Amino acid sequence: MTSLRARAVTGGILWAVAIIVLGLAGLSSYMTSQSQARFLEVLETRHSQAVVAVSNNSDTTVGLERAIGDLVYQVPLSGQYWQVQTDDGRVYASPSLEEARLPAPNGRSEAVQRREFVGPGNEPLFAIGQWVPVRDGSLWHVQVASSLQSFDEEQMDLRRTLLTAFAFVAFMGVLGALTQVAVVLQPLNKLRQDVSGRWEQDGGMKVADYPVEVAPLVHDINTLMERNRDIMRRSRRQAADLAHAIKTPSAIMRNELDTLIMNGHDVQEAVDALDRLDAQLKRSFARMRADGTDSTMVVATPLDVALGRMQRAFNALAENEGKTFTANFEAGMRVRMDQSDFEEVMGNLLDNALKWAASEVRLKAELAKDGQIMITIADDGPGIPKEEIAKATQSGQRLDTSKPGTGLGLAIAHDLVHAYGGKILLSKDEALGGLVVHLRLPAAVAKRAD
Amino acid sequence: MRILIAEDEPVLASQLKKTLVSEGLTVDVAVDGAEAQYLGETEPYDVIILDLGLPIRDGLTVLKNLRSGGNDTSILILTARNDWTDRVDGLDAGADDYLTKPFHMAELSARVRALIRRKAGKATPVFSKDEVTFDTRTNQVMVQGIPTNLTSQEIAVLSYLFHNSGRLVSRTELSDHIYQHEGDRDSNTIAVFVNRLRKKLGSDLIETVRGRGYVIKATA
Repeated sequence: MTSLRARAVTGGILWAVAIIVLGLAGLSSYMTSQSQARFLEVLETRHSQAVVAVSNNSDTTVGLERAIGDLVYQVPLSGQYWQVQTDDGRVYASPSLEEARLPAPNGRSEAVQRREFVGPGNEPLFAIGQWVPVRDGSLWHVQVASSLQSFDEEQMDLRRTLLTAFAFVAFMGVLGALTQVAVVLQPLNKLRQDVSGRWEQDGGMKVADYPVEVAPLVHDINTLMERNRDIMRRSRRQAADLAHAIKTPSAIMRNELDTLIMNGHDVQEAVDALDRLDAQLKRSFARMRADGTDSTMVVATPLDVALGRMQRAFNALAENEGKTFTANFEAGMRVRMDQSDFEEVMGNLLDNALKWAASEVRLKAELAKDGQIMITIADDGPGIPKEEIAKATQSGQRLDTSKPGTGLGLAIAHDLVHAYGGKILLSKDEALGGLVVHLRLPAAVAKRAD
Repeated sequence: MRILIAEDEPVLASQLKKTLVSEGLTVDVAVDGAEAQYLGETEPYDVIILDLGLPIRDGLTVLKNLRSGGNDTSILILTARNDWTDRVDGLDAGADDYLTKPFHMAELSARVRALIRRKAGKATPVFSKDEVTFDTRTNQVMVQGIPTNLTSQEIAVLSYLFHNSGRLVSRTELSDHIYQHEGDRDSNTIAVFVNRLRKKLGSDLIETVRGRGYVIKATA
């Protein structure tokens, strides 16, 4: 069983059932024995009264019915009976027995006999009988019987009441168990929520916010997350350093080759090889970046900051080319992406747009109705023909070689956006007539008040 | 026009220098960030080519320090990193343009020329005044449509005066922008270059304001 809640609830219920069964059994057995004792006491009293009545009747059988005059013996089949048998075999019985008779005594022992048998109304009877000596020295058997039916009914009633009471207790117990489980597991729920939104705060989760039992786990998770971030940061830095280490020599070689070409040497194959090398490096680094992206472990990047930076940077670049760049975005949006990844996507897309635009690039970012972030980048350049759009996002496809570039920009943006579960769509911009790139990116939840 | 190249890789720096010098530009080289910042703060460069991966003080810090010190020289950043974040950092800190390594020299010199031109507020790469035209892309000078041969120093003087046409330029300013940091400076030689230019291009092109300097009046 993997669920803590199921464990706790099942455990609670089993415990409650065990307590109820044992309690019910114990209590009902105690109360039954109490009732039996009371029943027996009453019956013994009646028997004594009968014996006394027989004695008081001057040892005659005449008027015996009046002597044992209790009213319960008068009502036919009332369940309360007496029967006196003389040693010569005459039998006198209470009017309640009508024509029926109680079983004859077993033997002639003077000890009190207790018996159970079926009575005249087919009801179970419990009887006490005893041979008592009368004044003439003979022994008379005096027997009283009482129906067990009312006793049984009383027992049933008692059990029903007990069961109802215990069922209520059980219900309350289960309710209590569920409440308790919910309360106890609350910190774990909080932990789960915090972990899913954990990269919101750079400092990790606050250990002090959790109970002592959970705190070590929170601490461990914090450490693990920090280490994960570290590894990601380090590997990115290493990749960047490697790129740096390779690119400067590559630049030197390219310049030497350029000089050779200017001097009339044929080094085209070397230039092509170097181009391939550069393109391969760029592609590999881009892939390393996309592969190293874990969309479940991301910080939220405030778009005010990231888009503000892009806006300033591309304003400068657009100005260099005598083009205009405008950016419109609502304040306060946050995207669930690492800032440098977001800037990588935007940089590549805006660079492309600016490169191809005749005079204008427009960026717009807004919160879509479904809570995602919609960014559109439109230009007034030549656009991409419909049939080539699919090709455009494939790695290294240069649709038009009239402008410098590796044709990797769109592919890099595409891979990164997908790594974060976002979407990228190309189409023709109705307003500007050039290409428009629609980006759909996951929004980050609102920042916590603390 | 004086250019500062801040690049720690000596081979690349010398290639850059060679290319730019061959185009009539005056070039100083700084091999680390501290030197780049010092030269940037003390010498009147027209463009600074700043590698972001400099030793001692990284290029981004140099850039920020220069800008916060009120230096508005055009700055072209060079980066070998793939990340856009690096480029955006640079542009956001006040760089005017960027190039990622590896790049073609032709691309670099075109960017440098564009930065110089933009700073001078000139829209076209070809300047002309009366019968003289000067193409900043090729350093080709023509008089009445006939190409004229100029020495690199003559081109440097002409180029600076054309870029600052309509404005009086002192001899000191001229020598600041055509001589290297550690080169021999003699403002008298400026007068010699101007005289030679007048001989080759006609005496009306460059006017002398006695005791103050030179000016090429409004150009087309």
